Amino acid sequence: MHKIEIDAEIDLLSENRRLAAENRKFLREHGIVAVNIMGAIGSGKTLLIEKTVEALKGIRIGVILGDVICRADYERVAAHEVKAEPVNTGKECHLDAHLINHRIQKFEDVDLLLIENVGNLICPVDFDLGEDFRVVMVSVTEGDDVVEKHPEIFRLADVIIINKVALAEFVEADVDKMERDAKNLNPEARIIRMDLKKDIGFDEWIEFLRGVLNVSGNSS
Amino acid sequence: MHEMSYAEAILENLINLAERNNAREIKKAHLVIGELLLINPEQLEFCFRAISRETIAENCTLEIEFVKPEIRCVKCGKEFEAPAGVCECGGFVSVNGGKEMILKSVIMEVD
Repeated sequence: MHKIEIDAEIDLLSENRRLAAENRKFLREHGIVAVNIMGAIGSGKTLLIEKTVEALKGIRIGVILGDVICRADYERVAAHEVKAEPVNTGKECHLDAHLINHRIQKFEDVDLLLIENVGNLICPVDFDLGEDFRVVMVSVTEGDDVVEKHPEIFRLADVIIINKVALAEFVEADVDKMERDAKNLNPEARIIRMDLKKDIGFDEWIEFLRGVLNVSGNSS
Repeated sequence: MHEMSYAEAILENLINLAERNNAREIKKAHLVIGELLLINPEQLEFCFRAISRETIAENCTLEIEFVKPEIRCVKCGKEFEAPAGVCECGGFVSVNGGKEMILKSVIMEVD
């Protein structure tokens, strides 16, 4: 027996990239716009999806809901009579291209695919799912330093939603600071101040989605 | 914890490489990891130990080399340690690299 050293030079993230490219190809071929919605537990992702599905009745929507083990979010969304699929990651706190790859075939007839990622601001960052747009939702109740503490997810987002703004004064959160931090990290991102329970900012979100669906020629 | 996903990718690639080289045992794996992947090395080690049990990588040491991203202001060129947003000069701070995970080299025992 003897030892050998091998120059491997293997990119360990290439498999996820390959599968993400495969997902992207499938989505393109079927004219589907996919939106990856990320954010912490309790930031309001599921409610955003429920309201979006209601507001865009007439557009064919599919929803993939990622969770570690439970089905609660899936059941909430499926109650709105929309095509939905739960994805339990089991041990991981993020979705990856492989998990999506197993499900997207079921959504070939939709125009818009909303993917609710597992609730956290770190792990989902580096896993491209093949989506067209990345959305990060944070709430003022997470503290107004939440943006500066998680630069990567905000830096790589297309849309940044600051939710629960009506509660800012009660939790002493400075929404201007949150918006400033987001803009500093990512001057290109669209930033939406929102409060889903007070109907603040929701129209702007729907306008964004209608815009991207129109651009792709999918709007009904 | 995203370390488990990475540990699985490491193990899978190590075992493939060992099979291609008819190796009996994998002794050491040298990894180059970008700091912006936010990998906790202890957690990565823990995950790897858990999943490599009873494989030929059971006793493999993970040697981790962290590499820094290049973070600098596009206007004045000032360098930063972390993604900083906007520079004092008003320029946008760009981030390059820091997201890689490369299995650089592997030491294994062959007959």
